[in-house]
Amino acid sequence: MIERAELHDAAQKAFPADQLRPDRKASWDLIAEMGWLLLPLPEDAGGLGLGRDAAAAIHFELGKVLSTAPLLTALLTVQALAAADDLPDQAGWIERLTAGELVTVNLLPADLELTDSGSIRLSGTLPCTLDADLASHTLVVTGDLAVLVPLDGEGVALAERRLWDESRRLFDVTLTNHTVAPELVVARGAKVQTLVAHLESNLQLALAADSLGGATAALDMTVEYLKTRKQFDRPLAMFQSLKHRCADLKVQVSAAEALLWKRAADENASSVDFGALKARASDVYRIVAEEAIQLHGGIGLTEEHPINLFMKRAMLNLQLGGSLDTWRELAGRQALEQYAA
Amino acid sequence: MSEDTHLEALRGEVRAWLDANAPKTWREDYKAMNHAEFADAQRTWFRTLVEGGYAAPHWPAGLALGSGRSLAEQKVIYEEMARADTPRLLLSFVSTYHAASTFLECGTEEQKARYLPAILQGETWCQGFSEPNAGSDLASLKCKAERQTRDGREVYVVNGQKVWSTMAQYADKCLLLVRTSSEGVKQAGITFLLMDMKAKGVTVRPIEQIQGDEEFCEMFLDEVEIPVTDRVGAENAGWAVSQATLSSERGLTLMELTYKMRGALARIAELIRKNGLEEDRGVLRDYGQLVTRCDEACAIADQFLQNRIDGIERVGDASVVKNTYSRVLREYSLLGTRLGGIDEQYRAPIVYGDLTTGNWMADFMNSYAWTIAGGSEEVQRNILSERMLEMPREPKNWVL
Ligand SMILES: Cc1cc2nc3c(=O)[nH]c(=O)nc-3n(C[C@H](O)[C@H](O)[C@H](O)COP(=O)(O)OP(=O)(O)OC[C@H]3O[C@@H](n4cnc5c(N)ncnc54)[C@H](O)[C@@H]3O)c2cc1C
Repeated sequence: MIERAELHDAAQKAFPADQLRPDRKASWDLIAEMGWLLLPLPEDAGGLGLGRDAAAAIHFELGKVLSTAPLLTALLTVQALAAADDLPDQAGWIERLTAGELVTVNLLPADLELTDSGSIRLSGTLPCTLDADLASHTLVVTGDLAVLVPLDGEGVALAERRLWDESRRLFDVTLTNHTVAPELVVARGAKVQTLVAHLESNLQLALAADSLGGATAALDMTVEYLKTRKQFDRPLAMFQSLKHRCADLKVQVSAAEALLWKRAADENASSVDFGALKARASDVYRIVAEEAIQLHGGIGLTEEHPINLFMKRAMLNLQLGGSLDTWRELAGRQALEQYAA
Repeated sequence: MSEDTHLEALRGEVRAWLDANAPKTWREDYKAMNHAEFADAQRTWFRTLVEGGYAAPHWPAGLALGSGRSLAEQKVIYEEMARADTPRLLLSFVSTYHAASTFLECGTEEQKARYLPAILQGETWCQGFSEPNAGSDLASLKCKAERQTRDGREVYVVNGQKVWSTMAQYADKCLLLVRTSSEGVKQAGITFLLMDMKAKGVTVRPIEQIQGDEEFCEMFLDEVEIPVTDRVGAENAGWAVSQATLSSERGLTLMELTYKMRGALARIAELIRKNGLEEDRGVLRDYGQLVTRCDEACAIADQFLQNRIDGIERVGDASVVKNTYSRVLREYSLLGTRLGGIDEQYRAPIVYGDLTTGNWMADFMNSYAWTIAGGSEEVQRNILSERMLEMPREPKNWVL
């Protein structure tokens, strides 16, 4: 059993804190080499059979360096395909995916039209498809069907949507009467719902971990800056009004992180629990990023200084996989039901 | 038996025991009580818990019936108490947590043998740390103790004033911080004594709290004699002992409180339903966020306790737990006050103890106790920034 602490260490060594937004291609090769794609796979699928917290540990560390690698998508889809036994060449897929072929997925709901007249055809747009430029296929879920769509297939078009956050790349994938190949059907019927719940939970957990890794790094960077920057003949870090703000941020980050690890290890947590976690974690990230820029003064507002990069990613994380408002509302509904009796 | 089945079995036991033994109508009963009756009701509930083996699950094994519980077992017990909505033990809280932690960490074998069992038999403690001019700056306390021989007995003779001592009017004993030396740094001249509240020269005057309760007191100490043997730690080494007490106040106690707060979320659900707001998305969002915040408070309290058990507690950890809980509690009681509407603004007979009064406005006012007592939120921020984040201390370069 690999301990979570060892994963944190290994990731910190591979991706040192002082190299933000490391090169995308080099990172991706390194990730495959480190075997991280195998982490969450069951042992009988050639994986390491580790829990959700193992993947979260890696996302946490990669969040600290604002990773540009497509690991989030890769881990999501490799787990989904490993759980989907309708897929004809499942073993072959897993082998290729763990070796570095990428299947992506859209991170916000799509509005798709499906027709079935002997062959299944799909039309519509898949918004927020992450890393589509590096992927061979995208995983599409609609109603009670989950399929793979080749990104170079007929009736498939990619359009990159440039982001403020340049550490991630998002695409709209548009399908126009795209015919689904039978050998690319991943799941049908009731199994699709299980797959979706699984995907949703893992996505929310990954985004929460990324957020709190980023919040940790941004807070560290800010505290260090205040210790070295002198005004009024003393380090800024000596002023209580600034120290107290940092202390408050530390409290929020620590508490949210405690919830992250607790929920990651909780077998009974629902996808709403994970969504609520993401809402809180990305909100903490936003709060830290806001304070971090303010506490850096003028330099915080420049492109030269990296603190702004955390703000951009924090704001994007608030939206990916559903907004703060959406998840808070769902968590409220779930709690009302829980206390119905 | 696997861990899970063991815990489920415990849950069943606790639930059944609470069904049979927990006071059911206490909310209503407490409202009709005067102070003496309240104290009696608290003593009775404490005695019942002692007999059931649930009074001190956080004590090390062997010290009491039901002590030596694992973290997971403690959680189950507190969750079930929250579910059964049992009254909080305001009267014996300082005894089972603050006093017990102090004896366990710093007391002599004799003191442990004498005082720990007495706590379970109902001896209650209060905490006499704060003074009118020594609150956040606790180390500048002035209450003076002089060592003398009187009638052939070695005693400390104590003179001075203490303030904000919770439940001192009902206490049998007091954890007392006194000044025994004015040499060197302020912290170096403090001694930790155990005072008998019935000793000659002790005067206690209750102070009305913000919500009309007499929860804390001031104490006037005039030539009070305390035997030298009733000292914890060495003379002038009381500061370190007081830190053990305070760390328990800031960290250990919060496991019970956070789980009770989590359980009490049902009270907000009731309000939402009562007001027909089940489909109000704004309210649902606020409630959803509060639920997550309560879960956070539980998670950080759990982590604190686990780190303590594993011996990897760091400076400032307890402050993180305290500042999380106190803020979530504020958010919690504020949402209740908001949803409760004008009704909460009418004065209601109140019941001691945060979260349990049944009146949201009273709970809201009481939530401030947690951002002030046991070292204010600002003082915790100083500890966090200077000790945990290692930011430099402020220079002491002013003159009065
Ligand atoms: C409900 C309740 C129960 C209590 N029970 C007990 C008890 O049983 N036994 C006991 O001994 N004491 C008890 N206390 C006392 C408590 O420990 C003190 O009230 C507390 O430490 C604050 O001290 P103070 O009231 O003198 O406020 P002050 O120290 O005067 O502080 C006033 C304000 O200034 C802020 N402040 C002070 N110093 C600093 C600083 N260095 N930097 C920034 N801000 C600062 C404080 O945070 C606060 O906001 C209790 C208090 C309450 C409210």
